[in-house]
Amino acid sequence: MIVAENLTRIYTMGRVEVHALRGVSLEVAKGEFVGIMGASGSGKSTLLHILGLLDRPTSGRVTIDGTDVLGLTDHRRTLFRLNRLGYVFQDYALIGELTALENVYLTSLVRGAPKEEYLKKSAGILERVGLADRMDHRQSELSGGEQQRVAIARALVNNPSILLADEPCANLDSQTSRSILDLFARLNEDLGQTILMVSHEEWHKEYFCRVATLRDGLIGDMVECRRRKPHPGGEA
Amino acid sequence: MTTLFTSLRVSAFLAWKSIQRGSKGTLALTIMIIALIFVNLVFLPSIISGVVETFNTQSIDFDFGNLVIEPREGSQYISGVTSLQKTVERIPGITGTSPRIAAGATFFYKGHNAASTLYGITPDDERSVTKIADYMTAGEFLSNGDTDAIILGTTLAGTEGQEAGGLPSLQGVAVGDSVEVTYPNGETRTYRVKGIYQTQSISVDTAAFVTSREMSGVLGLRDQASMILVKTAVDGREEEYKTELLSYGIQEQIRTFREKAGGFVDQAIQSFNIINTISALVSLIIAIVVVFIVIFINTVNRRRQIGILKAIGIDQQIIINSYVLQVLFITAVGALAGMALNAGVTTYLTAYPLVFPGGPVYPVVEVSAILQSVASLFAVSVVAGYIPAWQIAREDILTAIRG
Repeated sequence: MIVAENLTRIYTMGRVEVHALRGVSLEVAKGEFVGIMGASGSGKSTLLHILGLLDRPTSGRVTIDGTDVLGLTDHRRTLFRLNRLGYVFQDYALIGELTALENVYLTSLVRGAPKEEYLKKSAGILERVGLADRMDHRQSELSGGEQQRVAIARALVNNPSILLADEPCANLDSQTSRSILDLFARLNEDLGQTILMVSHEEWHKEYFCRVATLRDGLIGDMVECRRRKPHPGGEA
Repeated sequence: MTTLFTSLRVSAFLAWKSIQRGSKGTLALTIMIIALIFVNLVFLPSIISGVVETFNTQSIDFDFGNLVIEPREGSQYISGVTSLQKTVERIPGITGTSPRIAAGATFFYKGHNAASTLYGITPDDERSVTKIADYMTAGEFLSNGDTDAIILGTTLAGTEGQEAGGLPSLQGVAVGDSVEVTYPNGETRTYRVKGIYQTQSISVDTAAFVTSREMSGVLGLRDQASMILVKTAVDGREEEYKTELLSYGIQEQIRTFREKAGGFVDQAIQSFNIINTISALVSLIIAIVVVFIVIFINTVNRRRQIGILKAIGIDQQIIINSYVLQVLFITAVGALAGMALNAGVTTYLTAYPLVFPGGPVYPVVEVSAILQSVASLFAVSVVAGYIPAWQIAREDILTAIRG
């Protein structure tokens, strides 16, 4: 369970203070698929960065499964990200020098998994996202959709209990976007993975259990959604 | 929990992929610079070692042997030479002795004259100590019975019509010519030039030799000598032999060939070492700057990548170590390339040695110099690689990702 309490985040840009979050509180239960929506500059990404331990709030408190994650040392936060979280960036954030397969198994390598095991698991997950024939290709040889699927495979390879996705479909066409959302929905449904996804596309709501809408650094609305069943089969 | 082995494995993985898929041109250039720095670190010490080696060899082979026995304090000559020779030659490890009478003399030839040192030797004894007899460029070495013959150093013999740059020269004496010699007691003798030698040792090549029998007769000496050169079985243990000789009750002064040289070479070596230290420091500073710039540019270009690695849970130390491993790889390959390059230079200079006043100088590459250079290169490279990697890797994740 993720509990965020009264989060604020103030950036200083020269002499100007930007209040990205003004006191956000949010609870996400295990196995929920929550959408975070809002206009540009509303604080969606900032909130996800803080929940993903990539940034620290100016004030407030975050606990994940009972752990006060803001009190952890940098080293512990790194380990927490490695073992408990999967993060999908808007712009894929792949390592350009590595192939798709290497990008995916890198974190398993860090976790000390045996070679046979991480190769099999990484290849399996790449097959699952429809990239069986693109494993040995590097970032520059992959399309935007393929890169995003590699990034998703990387985020999922260690079975993280929480998946955070920052506008994962922002640079994708609607068909590719739908296949990725179907994949998320299936993971959420089959494996009970908690997913927080930032989006600004209205039609994405049909995949979410709940939607938190941010306005000017505060949660304006929190609405339950009527979920659509993920598309059976396909790439998902 | 990530173990040290696992961390190193990931660092090595990232380092290797970066080397494998990074810019080959930059990699090759960096390795080449490290190789040249290595050559610079090893080359000068090898020349200094070569100079020392040449000096030692020349001194032992042509000037002094390993040890020189000289007259007691206040005496001009050693007396009872035959008996002393027998005593010394009985000492284990002594392979030869050669008494020499030395005197300043003036040489005359076809209107030219030159002042230099004339030695009286027993040719058979001299052969057991020095190698002058093996370096005859014309004619023959002296025989024990010669009384009217002289051998000249190539510089003293000279070349017709050419000055010897301030050195004594008779400008063109050939084997068979007659040379007039005036001794310090005013006696003058005419000798037939039996041979001319060239050792490339200035002090020897500007001197001349007659037999001791002849010189003793002219100077009125009996069983006396100015010095006795001593050859030992092993070079480099002169101090031990000196102590050994003294323990046999020899009252005369005993000096090693180094002591005889009067510290000239030691001073030269000290000066060389200062130059070498400055050169090594400059080389190492260049190595630091080059590695720092290469890794700095590398990390700045991969700033976003470093941010991503941290974001997905790769520890900062793993990232830093990956850059340190890249530096170690570059330095190792650079050092190996440097060794190959240095082997080439050494081979060339062995075939075509540098010519110093003391003789030809061959580079002597000592293992300790190589090890020291490798260790220095690795030390400075690791430090120069670690700092920029550490600077970037400790940056805030989002700042790094945003570039």
